[in-house]
Amino acid sequence: MDLMSMAHDALSFRDVSAGYKQHKVLDRVSFRVREGEFISLIGPNGCGKSTLLKTAAALIKPISGQVELFGHDVQQVKPAERALLLGVVPQKIDSPMAFTVSQIVMNGRISSTGFWGNFSSSDHDLVERSMIYTDVLGLRDRYFTELSGGEQQRVALAMVLAQDPKIIMLDESISHLDINHRQEVLQILLKLNREERMTILLVSHDLTLSASISDRLLLMDSGTLVASGTPAEVLQSALLSRVYGCDLHVQQDPYTGYLQVSGAFESLSRRKRLGRSVHVIAGGGSGIELYRRLLIEGYEVTTGVLNRLDSDAEAARALNIPAVLEQPFSPVGAEAIASALRMIERADAVVLTRVPFGSGNLVNLELAREALKLGKTVLLADGIADRDYTEGRAAFHLAARLTEAGALGWQTIQDLTVKLQQL
Amino acid sequence: MGMKVAEVCGDNRYTARPHHKARLRITLFMVAIPLLLAFSLLLGPSGIGLPDLQNPSGSAIVSLRFSRMLMGLMTGAALAASGVVFQALLRNPLAEPYVLGVSGGAGLGATLTILAGSGVFFSLGLPVVAFVSAVLTLMVVYGIARQGSSGHPSVYSLILSGVIVSSICSSIIMFLVSTASVEGMHNVIWWMLGSLQPVSSDQQLLSAALIVIGLGGIMLLSPRLNALALGREMAHYQGLNADRVLVGGLLFATLLAATAVSLSGMIGFVGLIVPHVMRAIFGPDHRKLVPLAALAGGTFLVLCDAVARTIIAPIEIPVGVVTALAGGPFFLIILQRRMKQAWI
Repeated sequence: MDLMSMAHDALSFRDVSAGYKQHKVLDRVSFRVREGEFISLIGPNGCGKSTLLKTAAALIKPISGQVELFGHDVQQVKPAERALLLGVVPQKIDSPMAFTVSQIVMNGRISSTGFWGNFSSSDHDLVERSMIYTDVLGLRDRYFTELSGGEQQRVALAMVLAQDPKIIMLDESISHLDINHRQEVLQILLKLNREERMTILLVSHDLTLSASISDRLLLMDSGTLVASGTPAEVLQSALLSRVYGCDLHVQQDPYTGYLQVSGAFESLSRRKRLGRSVHVIAGGGSGIELYRRLLIEGYEVTTGVLNRLDSDAEAARALNIPAVLEQPFSPVGAEAIASALRMIERADAVVLTRVPFGSGNLVNLELAREALKLGKTVLLADGIADRDYTEGRAAFHLAARLTEAGALGWQTIQDLTVKLQQL
Repeated sequence: MGMKVAEVCGDNRYTARPHHKARLRITLFMVAIPLLLAFSLLLGPSGIGLPDLQNPSGSAIVSLRFSRMLMGLMTGAALAASGVVFQALLRNPLAEPYVLGVSGGAGLGATLTILAGSGVFFSLGLPVVAFVSAVLTLMVVYGIARQGSSGHPSVYSLILSGVIVSSICSSIIMFLVSTASVEGMHNVIWWMLGSLQPVSSDQQLLSAALIVIGLGGIMLLSPRLNALALGREMAHYQGLNADRVLVGGLLFATLLAATAVSLSGMIGFVGLIVPHVMRAIFGPDHRKLVPLAALAGGTFLVLCDAVARTIIAPIEIPVGVVTALAGGPFFLIILQRRMKQAWI
């Protein structure tokens, strides 16, 4: 089997879905990595980056689709041959026993040495070379478990370099390194990439860093690949803000020309001084994420009317949010409506979450109408038709009238916070 | 080839050569083993010394001591080596043949055989029945542990279900003993207490063959055990068929533990502590650790047996009593001094 043929991509995903029985983590992901490319895989926590790495390394079998390493189905490649093509530096390795650093690094040769694990002198040379590259030769007789997290990461990288693969995938492996060793490790990776045509796939949370060293970025969001291209193509403020769900700015450094991604802390503190307040009409857990975000962004938040047993009521109590509560299994009384109206009077805007409507909480939509009459901005979550359980679609019709009367719609929380900022 | 292999340093001085201290330790160990074995031959109820070899009863005594020495070597080596493998595969310092229910299962099979049979089938069937029932127990343990996890059971659920199945096995053994005839009860209890009384030569030969197979298999796996100590995932990335190593290792270790149980009964302590002490002294590299632990386990059991038949002669105490009573403090001292090297 000629695994070296150059006609193939180093790594390709074709319509790959993968994950667990109940929970699909990768959803029809397709991309190709050419040999010698330096790629960064970026995306928010839990978007499937690690699963993608595990699927590429045949640790996880795809539910559908095919993963190819140099043109061969990775599920068919023998483990020892796969190790020569692909090495993975995991987020963390732990050794339960007192292995020394050199014993750990020598593990990298395990599938290339013979059945008895005998090392030839070129095996030793590779091991020592890897240890020199990663600056761990001086640690060779120390116990691996006694090292700091960053030192352990360098040892792990040395072990994978000793494996001598054609592709190296690093799973957030450089995030624990101090700035000096991070630069060094990146230098090593760049050198291997440029001089030995080693293909690098780096999972990274440092978007600025990834932009400066990568040929190409792959951006993932909840199990799908949402963008692939040069750093300038992928790092777009609007796209990143949508994927990461927060306000992000991309600027070009005037001196280096590198792209820089930064969050918007300044505007956050400015808003806090304004002391804007928002009244949230929620229910059934639809308010929790919204409460959190609005508090972080510096708004004063009130909420209600909520059923006393509702999970949103619980969240409001935990977050110290003033809330109007009503007894469970009973219609909303005049007293509760009056206090909710007092809250709305003090608020700058009223937000309705994706709460399902039934006869019990229809009164909350009436409250929104009162808010419009008071001249408040009302933001109504889209798609109310799908969560209308009232008789005669009362909620849907009421919402339609609200929209006519000037209520705005919102889709994502990111979208909502932008609209709130524009008030 | 990612990195061009240049002469890093001509003699690979950094990784190829073991420390002179480590070499000295191994040399001392290899010298001590035959001396200790010879010493155990000298110990008998009548004190230290060889009986008159010209005398037929004297030579019979020496040949009895010699075959007990072989029994001890086989049993101890099998227990210690299987302990090393269980600890490496489960990545847990408490793992040993007893914890996964392997010994319990083998013990149950052996008890049934002892109560049921006698004759040729008895002596040759014992190791086979012990192995089969140990493997069945392991499969039950694995099956229980696997429930609720997708694919591979966690170490903790394996150990937990192992402990549960193990205690079920010993309850059944106690039930069988309590309802057995007086003679059967006597046989089983003596066997359970653990003793190196030589079994029939057929059974010894068969057991020796099984132990050679088990030790050989583990030796072949030993370089891979090092990689597996970093976890299934890392071993997979490094090009091992991790599941194959795991299943192979468990089967060989089970074969060793079951054969030891069928030879000498339930002897505790050796499978747990000897691996730890050897790791503390010689480090965790399994290519060295497996043979060293086997030698040490065998020799340790032989010495314990010599003590057992000597210390309150003419009464002989079960060897399982001596392993923990005499070995415990000795090993504790070594472990205390070199705890860091053993297991962190």
